[in-house]
Amino acid sequence: MRALVIDDSRAMRRIVSGILEGFGYEVRQAGHGREGLDVLEQGWVPDLACVDWNMPVMDGLQFVSAVRANPAWRQVTIMMVTSESEHTQIVRALAAGAHEYVIKPFTADAIRDKLALLGLLPEGASL
Amino acid sequence: MYQEQWLFSAPADTGERRRRSDAAPLLAELLDEATVQGIADEAWLALVGEAEVLVPLPGEPVTDPISSWVEIVGPWNGAVVLTCDRTTAEELARCLLREHAPDVLDPEDVDDALGELANVIGGNVKAVLPGPSVLGLPAVGAAPAPGGPTDTCRIDVLWRGRPLTVSVQGPAGA
Repeated sequence: MRALVIDDSRAMRRIVSGILEGFGYEVRQAGHGREGLDVLEQGWVPDLACVDWNMPVMDGLQFVSAVRANPAWRQVTIMMVTSESEHTQIVRALAAGAHEYVIKPFTADAIRDKLALLGLLPEGASL
Repeated sequence: MYQEQWLFSAPADTGERRRRSDAAPLLAELLDEATVQGIADEAWLALVGEAEVLVPLPGEPVTDPISSWVEIVGPWNGAVVLTCDRTTAEELARCLLREHAPDVLDPEDVDDALGELANVIGGNVKAVLPGPSVLGLPAVGAAPAPGGPTDTCRIDVLWRGRPLTVSVQGPAGA
């Protein structure tokens, strides 16, 4: 399975990528939403996109809207991974088309639980 | 006739009530040190390491300080600032990067890690302040000047015996 991790923090990209790789994902990274769209436009369409909210150039919400506007990317499951924890922000992200929402700080267990809920925990990844 | 009576009986509008309600809330009424400590503790456990604790004790003044911060704009305006010395910042970056940390850290990695810690703490501080608010992107450098004592909530802690501060602070001069 493929995952695209989009976050402007290199440290956070490495943390999330490390967790997903541990579950068996093939992972690519992008530093903001526009870079993430570039990856999709190049034909590398992931099963899962983990997206931060506050980023330069293109924020997470704009990325979610852009992905949802393209029917060719309908199968991409989007999980917001962000420090934005206000209820109104969560509702906005879900209304725009995100499937799940993980608030920073998080644990690997929290990511694993969300993936299990989404049916995106690869076979062999321990629960 | 009714309108005329109402006009005569209504108190004169001096604007005082509007000014009172429009005034930005004071941080001391919204947040306390225990809340900030709890948010920082949680960020440390999740990002820095499961065995990493912030001991609520002030240390020696930080020499060679470096700060990271995020601004909050909303009913309350200010910044959440994390300050430590550069050696501590490098150690924090190594903890965040874990096995991905290179032998020699790039200064950008240090800034990035410190900025992300401020971002995570700031996002959770924003959640307990009145909203809606907007969180800015992390910045790293010399800390912005703090606001007055009633508009600052600061914790002094020790991490691995090294001093570190987390300050939620209104703008200077406000």
